[in-house]
Amino acid sequence: MAGLLLFNVWNIVTNTPMVPDQHWAQKIFYVHVPSAWVGFLSYLVVMIAGIMFFIKGDDKWDDVGLAAAEIGTLFMALVLITGPIWATPIWGKPWIWEPRLTTTLILFLIYIGYFMMRSFGGHIERIRRYAAAVGIIAFVDVPIIFVSVQFWAPEIQSHPQVEMAQQPSGILNPFLLSLGIFTILYVLMMRYRIHVIRIINKGVENV
Amino acid sequence: MMLSVSNLSKSFNRRSVLTDITFEIGDGETVVFMGKNGAGKSTLLRILSRIMACDQGAITFQNHDLLKGMPTARKNLLYLGHATGMYSALSAVENLSLALQLRGSSTSRETIFEALKQNGLFNQKDDPIAIYSQGMLQRLKLTYAELAQWSLLLMDEPFSGLDDDGIQQMHQILMHWKSEGKSLCLVLHDADKAALYGDRILRIEHGVIMEP
Amino acid sequence: MFFILLKKELYNEFRSRELILSMLVFGLSIILAYAFTSDVSRVIVANYAPGMFWAMILFVTVLGVHRSFSYEKEMDAFSMLIAAPIDRGLIYLSKCISGFIFLTVMEIIVVMPFFKFLLIDFPPNPLMAVGTALLINLAIMAVASLISGIAMRARLSEVLLPVLMFPLVSPVIIAATKISGGIMAGDPYQLWQIWLLIIGSIIVIFGLVGYTLFDFITEE
Repeated sequence: MAGLLLFNVWNIVTNTPMVPDQHWAQKIFYVHVPSAWVGFLSYLVVMIAGIMFFIKGDDKWDDVGLAAAEIGTLFMALVLITGPIWATPIWGKPWIWEPRLTTTLILFLIYIGYFMMRSFGGHIERIRRYAAAVGIIAFVDVPIIFVSVQFWAPEIQSHPQVEMAQQPSGILNPFLLSLGIFTILYVLMMRYRIHVIRIINKGVENV
Repeated sequence: MMLSVSNLSKSFNRRSVLTDITFEIGDGETVVFMGKNGAGKSTLLRILSRIMACDQGAITFQNHDLLKGMPTARKNLLYLGHATGMYSALSAVENLSLALQLRGSSTSRETIFEALKQNGLFNQKDDPIAIYSQGMLQRLKLTYAELAQWSLLLMDEPFSGLDDDGIQQMHQILMHWKSEGKSLCLVLHDADKAALYGDRILRIEHGVIMEP
Repeated sequence: MFFILLKKELYNEFRSRELILSMLVFGLSIILAYAFTSDVSRVIVANYAPGMFWAMILFVTVLGVHRSFSYEKEMDAFSMLIAAPIDRGLIYLSKCISGFIFLTVMEIIVVMPFFKFLLIDFPPNPLMAVGTALLINLAIMAVASLISGIAMRARLSEVLLPVLMFPLVSPVIIAATKISGGIMAGDPYQLWQIWLLIIGSIIVIFGLVGYTLFDFITEE
């Protein structure tokens, strides 16, 4: 996996065409967009795990939900870090209330509340149910947030992904490769994290 | 069979409070739970009345699945806990008619007045129950149990907070219910009382039902 | 059954008056703070007024829904409610509608001082403003009641409630500000109808989600 990641970085650095106007800053797009994709995918997994938890009542779905929430928030943080890094040279300022970025920020804040609740909200058997509910609500809210943010500031539409359509075609393949590698990375991280959460749960039970 | 519980488990912060609880209550039977404080008796009653969620297990009440079935499955189940379970801002009459309406039975005001009179609460019937004393609240719960329709009553320490009159009254009403063939599930601390009312006594220790 | 639950909410409030009163006093003190902190030209205040109004409502709502669920815990009344053989989703709907009523009553009282203290003119089309405000109140309550139902049993619920609620309710606040801003400026309906659509979809979606989820989250 490490090799795959290194290859991805090498590929991005050497094999992608320079975009006029943007120069090196554009390279971050190969990290930024796959991070956002993995982040949203992960939050979708949290919602599915929440629904399954309510239907089956099985704690293993809570483990999945927790792992997905943690990893999703990690990637959302990456999006929120790489976004301003890209934006500073391109837009001339670190933050613009661009719809996708704003939606990410709002989701990120909801999940900070989620983790606050998990860490000091009370005993774990109860919090599992609440966490599942918040996970479902958060993702249900995504389309509404996105649409409203989009109409909120219609003048802000400039976004890497929109611009890419007009850029040279050499970008598409490395981008798809990066997307694939990030997704594989996500699946591996999920499996590893669920495993760790189960070990932690077992360890606490035996104390 | 009135109620059957199988392999019920509950833990708080991964610390087990109830482990593999399995028992049955027959029609017209009175089961008494005894055990030290914190043994899990009150938790068990709250789970049976669907106030608290359990981690594992199944509960069947009058041939209905209580955990996964429709809300109407618990229509003939009544829970009376330590606390009053009523709204402190409302009066006794309002609380009773609300609680009875929620259980789907329409009781006339006259019937409620009559029951309050018998339990010595008639003069304070329009006061908010926030100003009631502990014993009066206990009587209010008793009035509720008299008026409500049920076939199994789960009652947590029915004698706590009562004066001698109240204890006598509670004794009579418990005996009356037993003679009517209703099922009771009580939590008691006093061994004599447990022997008096219980057809069967189950001891809970550390969340496990002990073999008699 | 729903009307019995709603009647219970209204009776409780009628007897104690603690919910509307605390919301009202808090709202007035926020207006006072606004008056002191926005000592700028009237044109600027008038432009900001819709946002200020809905931000105030947001804070007041937190107080209201928190109170609405914490009085259930006195004397363990909530256990009687959820042990009753009723559909628990109805508890959510009754909380939602009663909260909507309380919030509306509070707004009716607070709207006059808001306009007069901040020296703003009334909107050119008051009926339109009232109608949209009602819908917005319902949307805020649909979200707030659900979050409050989740937070009520958790420790530090008074912290968790705003932390979880504010980001989730952000679309409502954006839409509310846009709608009220449009009405204040006398814009035609076509310019802000999309926001009514968003408000409507929030009411429907959160209403359904809350109704479904409440069965799972009310238990201890």
